[in-house]
Amino acid sequence: MKPKRIILSKDEIPRQWYNILADIKMNPPLGPDGRPISPDMLAPVFPMNLIEQEVSSDRWIDIPEAVLDVLAIWRPAPLTRASAFEKALGTPAKIYYKNEGMSPPGSHKPNTAVPQAYYNKVFGIEKITTETGAGQWGSALSFACAQYGLTCKVYMVRISFDQKPYRKAMMETWGGTCIASPSNETKAGRDALERDPDTPGSLGIAISEAVEAAVSDTSGKTRYSLGSVLNHVMLHQTIIGLEAKKQFEIAGDYPDIIIGCAGGGSNFAGLAFPFVLDKINGKQIEIYPVEPKACPTMTRAPFAYDHGDTAGYTPLLPMYSLGHNFVPAPIHAGGLRYHGMAPTVSQLINEGLFTPKSVGQMASYEAGVLWARTEGFIPAPETTNALAQVVVEAKKAEAEGKEKTIVVNFSGHGLLDLGAYEKYFSGELFDYSLDDAEIEKSAAVLKNYPEPQHLKSV
Amino acid sequence: MDPDQLERRCPRLGGDVAFGYCKVCGEEKTACFKVFDCWWERFDVVAHMKACLTPEAFDALSASRPHPKVVSLVDLIRKAQERAATP
Repeated sequence: MKPKRIILSKDEIPRQWYNILADIKMNPPLGPDGRPISPDMLAPVFPMNLIEQEVSSDRWIDIPEAVLDVLAIWRPAPLTRASAFEKALGTPAKIYYKNEGMSPPGSHKPNTAVPQAYYNKVFGIEKITTETGAGQWGSALSFACAQYGLTCKVYMVRISFDQKPYRKAMMETWGGTCIASPSNETKAGRDALERDPDTPGSLGIAISEAVEAAVSDTSGKTRYSLGSVLNHVMLHQTIIGLEAKKQFEIAGDYPDIIIGCAGGGSNFAGLAFPFVLDKINGKQIEIYPVEPKACPTMTRAPFAYDHGDTAGYTPLLPMYSLGHNFVPAPIHAGGLRYHGMAPTVSQLINEGLFTPKSVGQMASYEAGVLWARTEGFIPAPETTNALAQVVVEAKKAEAEGKEKTIVVNFSGHGLLDLGAYEKYFSGELFDYSLDDAEIEKSAAVLKNYPEPQHLKSV
Repeated sequence: MDPDQLERRCPRLGGDVAFGYCKVCGEEKTACFKVFDCWWERFDVVAHMKACLTPEAFDALSASRPHPKVVSLVDLIRKAQERAATP
């Protein structure tokens, strides 16, 4: 039997996270008055230890032992050689993957849910609130809170709450409380119910409820938690790439190409950021965040300040985005339909350290199915985007006759999203793509917007 | 055809929703900011929304954008504090 997985011992788990903010320059998010948003403005919803991480420029931040103790349930995650996938593709490329689908909730999300729960606990917080749409984040946070004896309350949009009772069951199994939003527990919820007692709810109301529940607790023992986009979320995810670097050392190999799907950017950043430091120091690596071709946020858009509203009085943050009139073709790819990408990922694209790629929906499912039939694991719909790019690179390596080393982040399993596969198999999914004229029209909308200062880190 | 009955998977919620939901699930029961993105290929959603809304409401919808999270949070905190201070 050939060795397939590279497994770190318990003692080899990384003991520090890597903070990309030490090595790149970032424009600060601006408030309505044009001044940077200050840490204290976030204090009503986050404990100060997490806010310190959000704004820290220290390159390495210690991972507390109590966090490692919980991460040890599934970490270090294996770096696995996808040898059967390679064989099926007939490629000379060596393909490795980090399997984040092995966490209890089945995705990378607990990599940040666990430390967030821990930092709240040591700050003296007893209860954490959050909102959830489909329930993945609510599940991850419920799991994490159970580990530290915290109360977790998840406001789940009513329409999803009714459609996905098993998600509520997952959260409750981990001790979380999942309630349909709008609820009678907050003024935001009561107001919504008063307007329409039969309302199916919305993400906007659910977020308002979760934030209000944290802000209005006069004991000061409640905070709110967010699972994407923010700097401290990206920081916590870097354990993925830090483990991978150690595992490549053991394998005597090093990646030529790093690939991850990128919606909000956190799983991609988790694998890629630790390798960025090597790239800044001269290592030749291609790093590809991958998105659906039908909704190209990163691959064809200009870098611009993104107005939150028409009057322009909403605070600004540097983001990759298309124009107001952007109309993408429909696609099913889980959480990949964000217009906004994490600012740190946007900045690294702007600096040329990342090269965004896009893939079609049908190629993604084709890659996902081939993966399931070779490597065994059924990927989440958004994970198939990354796998489709792996196929592209593997075929390129074959055409060029080069033995390239590719690593991809397997961000989560798809066992809770099999309906998407059903639609693929029954021929209900199609590819669409925007033409250049549509993109140009969208870009034109941005021409009068203020430009950010393009800071270069290298 | 009543477009309100058409269904598709919502990329934000991860489940199937009817177009009628997308028309009212935004702030203050306005349409979702992604309503044009999601429905343009199924029927002429722009013309439909233009017929349903006042010119001002249509302009606001046409120009709406998703808010960056950290910035949205600051705004949500302010609103929540105002609600908490109201008896």
